[in-house]
Amino acid sequence: MTIEKNLNGAELNVKVIGRLDTTTAPQLEAEFKGNINGVEKLVLDFAELEYLSSAGLRVILAAQKVMNKQGEMIIKNVNDTINEIFEVTGFIDILTIE
Amino acid sequence: MIKINHLRKEYANVTPLKDVNVHIHRGDVISIIGPSGTGKSTLIRCINMLETPTSGSIFVGNECITDKKCNINKIRQKMGMVFQSFNLFNHMNIIENIMAAPMDLLGKSKQDAYDDGMELLRTVGLADKAFNYPDELSGGQKQRVAIARALAMEPEIILFDEPTSALDPTMVGEVQAVIKELAKKGLTLMIVTHEMRFAREIANRVFYMDEGGVYEDGTPEEIFDNPKREKTIRFIKHLKVWENLITSKDFDFIGFNTSLEEFGRRNQVPQKTIYRAQSVFEELGVQCILPELDNEFKLSVAFEYSQEEETLSMTLKYDGKHFDVRESTNMISLAIAKNASESIEYTQTQEDGFTNLVTVRIK
Repeated sequence: MTIEKNLNGAELNVKVIGRLDTTTAPQLEAEFKGNINGVEKLVLDFAELEYLSSAGLRVILAAQKVMNKQGEMIIKNVNDTINEIFEVTGFIDILTIE
Repeated sequence: MIKINHLRKEYANVTPLKDVNVHIHRGDVISIIGPSGTGKSTLIRCINMLETPTSGSIFVGNECITDKKCNINKIRQKMGMVFQSFNLFNHMNIIENIMAAPMDLLGKSKQDAYDDGMELLRTVGLADKAFNYPDELSGGQKQRVAIARALAMEPEIILFDEPTSALDPTMVGEVQAVIKELAKKGLTLMIVTHEMRFAREIANRVFYMDEGGVYEDGTPEEIFDNPKREKTIRFIKHLKVWENLITSKDFDFIGFNTSLEEFGRRNQVPQKTIYRAQSVFEELGVQCILPELDNEFKLSVAFEYSQEEETLSMTLKYDGKHFDVRESTNMISLAIAKNASESIEYTQTQEDGFTNLVTVRIK
């Protein structure tokens, strides 16, 4: 998995490329922990996310909880496979997907 | 008619037969199938003592042929053998090949041996080749002569060791047709073959050989339509299998997924199915089951792909306490796994030291 991030004022854009699974989820978790402070808008770009497991969902959920307190979180460019995971787990109702 | 008890055959580096126990009845037509190297040919070569068993006994009628005092040549007269490579005498013409043994061993007169030999050649459709030499015949014709020669000894049993595997595909049918005729006549036949349709059509019993013995013995319907044991099912359904044993919670997850992907690509499993398989394994195996296992554990993962049915299934076996993964409290993982599966079954087991068995049919 590769993470590309771009901080523009209080807006943090994070592009996740590859597989977000048991082994790579801690990497994204660490990125959020280190960079989310003071961020008011977190944008996750999943255009090149190929695989998502529950381990990745938990990291996304934790980020959503933090952002609920300090601003908003948007997920964009979700493909069908990833969207299916959001649907069957009920995450689609919790997350803001564009 | 033939009773085989605890038959074992060892060679220097390999033991193809570990413990064979079967009872063959008069008139049985038995197809012997199974992967290469599972002792099929060794078994029938032991039955007529072309190979000397390491241990165990074989009775033909009331005679123990593995007994050193047994006159094996007398028994062999009741037992014909047809080889993959025909084994005709090239310096004799066809009718001479057929007449030799009945004259030498049964004491038939030349005229009787000739008359009977011609009759047999007619039954295998080769009377017009009686005075040709083996080199002038096609492979299929040579094999039909070999069958006629075996029949000339008026055997009660004929053993066939892959009778069609050295033949050009266009000649397989003619040899199979002759063997089918013999089956109708009530002879006891044992046929090692890789031709599954033939094995099924001709036999009243099928031996599937694996693990050093007759792994499953049943009617053609039982073996081909409803095999019961794991390896028989894999063989019959042409299942491609990928297995992995996990014994550490820090196992190489990335290597696992890469290797599973390679298995999928090699066997033309659709990419979406591979993705789902990885997802189901990660959710059930890694997220739900691993945390429940003791520090010392074993978790066996097997994926089986049927190219015929284009279905992929996953089997997880694990030890420790009984734990039905479908009752896991990890609802997110269960939801993802269920979405990627047609079915998830759980049973308790005692197989190979495992206590739990999960079978998943991947969507």
